[in-house]
Amino acid sequence: MNLSVPFRLAWSQLAQHPAKLATGVSGVVFACVLIFAQLGFKGALFDSATAVQAGLTGDIFLIHRNTDTLMQTHAFPRARLYQALAVDGVAQASPIYVGTGSWKNPWNATRRAMFVFGIDPGNCALNFSGLREGLPLLKRDDTLLFDERSRPEFGDIKGALRNSSEIPVQLSDRKVNAVGTFALGVGFTADGNVITNEATFMRIFRERTFAGPDIGILALRPGADVLAVRDAIRARLPEEVRVLTHAEFVGVERAYWENNSPIGAIFSLGVIMGLIVGVVIVYQVLYTEIANHLSEYATLKAIGYSHRFLVLLVGAAALILAVMGFVPGVALSLGLYKIVGDVAFLPMHLGLDRLGGVFFLTLAMCFGSALLAVRRLQAADPADVF
Amino acid sequence: MEPIVTARHLQFAFGEGAARRAVLRDVNFEIRPGEIVILTGPSGSGKTTLLTLVGALRAMQSGSLHVLGRDLSGASEEVRRAVRREAGYIFQMHNLLPFLNARENVAMAFGEESTMPRPEQLRRADAVLDQVGLGARRHDRPSSLSGGQKQRVAIARALVHEPKLMLADEPTASLDKQSGQEAVHLLRDMARQRGCPILLVTHDSRILDVADRIVEFEDGQILAR
Repeated sequence: MNLSVPFRLAWSQLAQHPAKLATGVSGVVFACVLIFAQLGFKGALFDSATAVQAGLTGDIFLIHRNTDTLMQTHAFPRARLYQALAVDGVAQASPIYVGTGSWKNPWNATRRAMFVFGIDPGNCALNFSGLREGLPLLKRDDTLLFDERSRPEFGDIKGALRNSSEIPVQLSDRKVNAVGTFALGVGFTADGNVITNEATFMRIFRERTFAGPDIGILALRPGADVLAVRDAIRARLPEEVRVLTHAEFVGVERAYWENNSPIGAIFSLGVIMGLIVGVVIVYQVLYTEIANHLSEYATLKAIGYSHRFLVLLVGAAALILAVMGFVPGVALSLGLYKIVGDVAFLPMHLGLDRLGGVFFLTLAMCFGSALLAVRRLQAADPADVF
Repeated sequence: MEPIVTARHLQFAFGEGAARRAVLRDVNFEIRPGEIVILTGPSGSGKTTLLTLVGALRAMQSGSLHVLGRDLSGASEEVRRAVRREAGYIFQMHNLLPFLNARENVAMAFGEESTMPRPEQLRRADAVLDQVGLGARRHDRPSSLSGGQKQRVAIARALVHEPKLMLADEPTASLDKQSGQEAVHLLRDMARQRGCPILLVTHDSRILDVADRIVEFEDGQILAR
């Protein structure tokens, strides 16, 4: 059968009542925007949770098998790094030490927890914005670089550094000097970040030693096959160490927040709410459309049309509503993403996968409504038209 | 020639058990090619039920009924739908689709299985609309047509796909005397041109003159004449 026939008919039918059509379309728009907003927030929060991992440059990452999040890392023997270095294709290995320190605000003496990263300034795999300029300053002991995007409760270190080359601060029990800044940003993993050299890190965290880094970063020789080298290292190292590609390393932190926090569930609930609102509105529109045209549908059956044709007619109406609602829904969501990005510094990206995913959800929503509504078609009995 | 419709010992009842009410009791009749038959009788006599059975709009119960060469006793929905596609229907109310204009309504009769290109369907719809005198109103929706005009569009819809049998139920019920007469005469003339038989149910005595044969119906049975 020519599918354009039910489409043309469905369109004529919907267009006959512009107000009802607008109701149906705005229901779909609303559901779309709600879903895009929930997915956008969820994505942005997970992005911020993995900002540290995303800012590390390296090909392969080593962490202890029990390390699921930066919030709670487990040190592994530094010797594993040297073992990995011996594998063909590995060019460089650098350790990173991660700890949670207690920062004392230099101005009002309040204390707050923050991430402390210990690195070798001469062999640094961190690629945070503005970090390159500050690295030489870290060669002196008892210095630190401060994340200017840390929460304001830590004090305006960046402002103070304009008038002075170093600001004395207290981190846990240690007096150190802030000598520069970088820009990383905080999410729900940390309120603030600082970077020190390895020796300073050991002085702040007395129980820690050079022999036990938290993250090992390996750079490969140009042209090396990341997956093959990863597998070769896995084969060589004991199981206490996880050997991960960059994407897998980011995925570990992401999985932790997806599985161990209500964040994923909350936003999924938001998506479901959006779908329910959409289904209810679209169902309402399609159902009244069928109910109002029942005698016409019975007439169509009487002059030889099949039940299947009428189902296709309702399905075509659902598809028209889905497409007409999705397009302005995307436009509005882009505006929303821009506003949230500017106001809340939460980077929201509308990728093709999310676009496709939401379109699929929109289609499913409209066809689901249609499936509920076509039951009403059973009442269209051709024997009743005479 | 073979009759277009043959009914033998046709019976039909509504309801079950104690509520069972017979509306057709042993109906025997036929329609021959080109014949215009009017079925008349008091309301509730079962004539509309007979029409829905002949039109394959309703499943049969007992007796035998052959329409357009098909046996309708125990026929599947597909067989009944095939009969419906070959018949033309005119209803009490015009039953046009309110969101389509006159020519689109008429073209609906070609059905979902038609392989005829859309422009050809519309061209034929326009031609039939010209014959019923509504060529100038082909782009009007039903809401802007008078009752008589709507019924003429319905006649055009019933005829455009060259049906082999025409079924009409009280086609004058919603019309005044003059437009009713006009519509029925138009229907008769166009069916005659095409050699298409008509089964017309009515209790409007003013239109009995168009019939070749009048069948009187009462209490579920054909009255012997």
